[in-house]
Amino acid sequence: MIEGIGRIQDMMERQSYITDRAIATTAFLAMELRKPVLIEGQAGVGKTEIAKVLSAALDTELIRLQCYEGLDVNTALYEWNYPKQMLRIKIDEGAGASADEQEAHIFSDEFLLKRPLLRAISAKEKSPVLLIDEVDRADEEFEAFLLEVLSDFQVTIPELGTIQSQHRPYVVLTSNRTRELSDALKRRCLYLWIDYPTFDKELRIITTKVPNINERLARQVAAFMQVIRNVKLNKTPGVAETLDWAMSMMALHQEHLDPEAVRETLGAFIKDRDDVSKLRGKPLDVMLGSMNGAEEEDLNEWIQSVTQRLEREVASR
Amino acid sequence: MDSVSDAAPRERGSFALRSRSKHADLQRHVISFGRELRTRELLSTSTEIVDALRVMEQVDIADRRDVYLGMRTVFLSKPEDRPIFDEVFNQFWRRIAHIGEVDDPNSDDEMTAQGDEGGELQEGGEAQQQLRLTSPEGEGGEGDEEGDEEALPLYSPVEMLASKDFSRFQAEEMTEIARAVLVIAKRLATKESRRFRVSRKGSTIDARRTMRRNMKYGGTIIELAKKRKKIRKPRLVVICDVSRSMDTYSKFLLQFIHAMQNTIGKVESFVFSTSLTRVTEYFRNEEILEALDRIAREVHDWSGGTRIGQSLTTFNEKWAKKLVDRHTIVLILSDGLDTGDAEILRQAMEGLQERSGKVIWLNPLLGSKDYRPLARGMSTALEHIDVFAPAHNLASLADLSKHLAV
Repeated sequence: MIEGIGRIQDMMERQSYITDRAIATTAFLAMELRKPVLIEGQAGVGKTEIAKVLSAALDTELIRLQCYEGLDVNTALYEWNYPKQMLRIKIDEGAGASADEQEAHIFSDEFLLKRPLLRAISAKEKSPVLLIDEVDRADEEFEAFLLEVLSDFQVTIPELGTIQSQHRPYVVLTSNRTRELSDALKRRCLYLWIDYPTFDKELRIITTKVPNINERLARQVAAFMQVIRNVKLNKTPGVAETLDWAMSMMALHQEHLDPEAVRETLGAFIKDRDDVSKLRGKPLDVMLGSMNGAEEEDLNEWIQSVTQRLEREVASR
Repeated sequence: MDSVSDAAPRERGSFALRSRSKHADLQRHVISFGRELRTRELLSTSTEIVDALRVMEQVDIADRRDVYLGMRTVFLSKPEDRPIFDEVFNQFWRRIAHIGEVDDPNSDDEMTAQGDEGGELQEGGEAQQQLRLTSPEGEGGEGDEEGDEEALPLYSPVEMLASKDFSRFQAEEMTEIARAVLVIAKRLATKESRRFRVSRKGSTIDARRTMRRNMKYGGTIIELAKKRKKIRKPRLVVICDVSRSMDTYSKFLLQFIHAMQNTIGKVESFVFSTSLTRVTEYFRNEEILEALDRIAREVHDWSGGTRIGQSLTTFNEKWAKKLVDRHTIVLILSDGLDTGDAEILRQAMEGLQERSGKVIWLNPLLGSKDYRPLARGMSTALEHIDVFAPAHNLASLADLSKHLAV
């Protein structure tokens, strides 16, 4: 079965998603055990991406439910198409159908607006991937409802009856941990915590996602990100920021991190005003000044020593 | 650095499960692994244990890394628990590693994990402060008061095991408090949510129900079904200081909390002096006197010294995730005289403010004209407080209603 995990990892990497054993193991077990996966981690570590990659790798539909405060069952599950129902009634006015017949007609499949959860449950061909994104933003009431759906994979629509899932969806839930989810929901799920990538992993991500980037620039960007994530910022940059930045450097035809260019492109990866003013000036110079060290010295040592100097610099302000 | 390979270096063995008894052995170890995790407060119930057994069938049980990752997927439910998980996993691995070995006289050293809850040591207290202020109402508890001057009890860094006498309670006092709480409860109950509920007086048309209801008229809309926004009550978490310097007020404040809990519903309450205790249960459906009695008996450091920072940090770590969200108002009742580290308090307050809808700090000392929040703890906490108000008498508590909306 060990090949199973490796196979999943290959499958995901073929979709240009650089993964590691932990992610692959969880994905593998989720499929074998047919349990939903709850993925937590800071913003920008690629939680949502996992669901997308899974659906691409399995060649199946991705159905996404974006959660927000106040999200309710009508938006998540189904709603009747009222304007269409009204029109139908008007059109049929002279037809002499009885009220019962009419009712049966306008509360049929044709007038049903399927929202993500219902779409996932009623998939006809094969199991879709259902992504329930940022579930921590929905309120507890909705969480309880979700729990019900995730345990039975069936829903009851009063006018139509019970719909039972034929192809049980693969479910991926993500959370940014703005609040703790209920134990009941966690118990229903396998759990995966994703950290910011290691230097090696991030380097692989950069070279995969930014084609034609030269090795030196890629290494410098990855090393720079390792340091910057050690500094206490309001918004720690994620992988998306790394890629944006690497791409802007490419657009500027940079072969390596040059101080001028970094200052100009700071906005590509530092997206908080306070953070920008925290780093601008001396702290940034400290980092850039020692950039060459990243290539020569032992990388971990370099990261540590630069982080320390940077922290001192930031603290002294 | 790759966290995974780090925590569980790849150790491949070359064995397979050869017999039933070995299988049973493995099962037993997985079960006790799950139990051990539960005693260490991880989310581990029979569901997880069954999953873990299924996982063991899916991975190569000789491969430490895969077993580790598989078990972690099942048993871990928040990153903070990772160190505990790793520790217990290592013991587990040691126990199962010999299972597959052909002849193994290996006695596995049974390890009993003991929580390292070394008794929390008291920080030595330094200078004691003597404060004078206009006292709040005495035992009488009338609405408005001009109390006499009296010296406040000192705050003490020494944890004390003392019990309190709550017998001298007065009936009018209780009614007054109940009345103040009602005002507050009303105010709390008017926050609209974005969800709808069916209502005859609503302002928005409920299209779905309108359609259903009018089918009997052949679809001509005659009756309108309406809905309106649901009222959403914010949740309230009250954290009350019962250290010795609060003696004059704590009884009165606890009555207030009791009344709130029984009127408003979603209220969680905690008391602290040098450590934090959840008292929601004590106040639930209990006679106030009985409840206070029980608290006095069971909360050990009653009337001890004050470590606000420590107590709030405990709250953040143990309770905040479950109880506090953007719809929660956190109400802290304390005089802010802290013997602990001001930085710890500041961090705890920052965390609390970030997570909650609003942080209200009621300080009985604010009732005094001369009081300035200069005590070290109080002044550092101030920047993370949304509302800072007095709480020395009923009028000030009734005023609280003004601030109770998130």
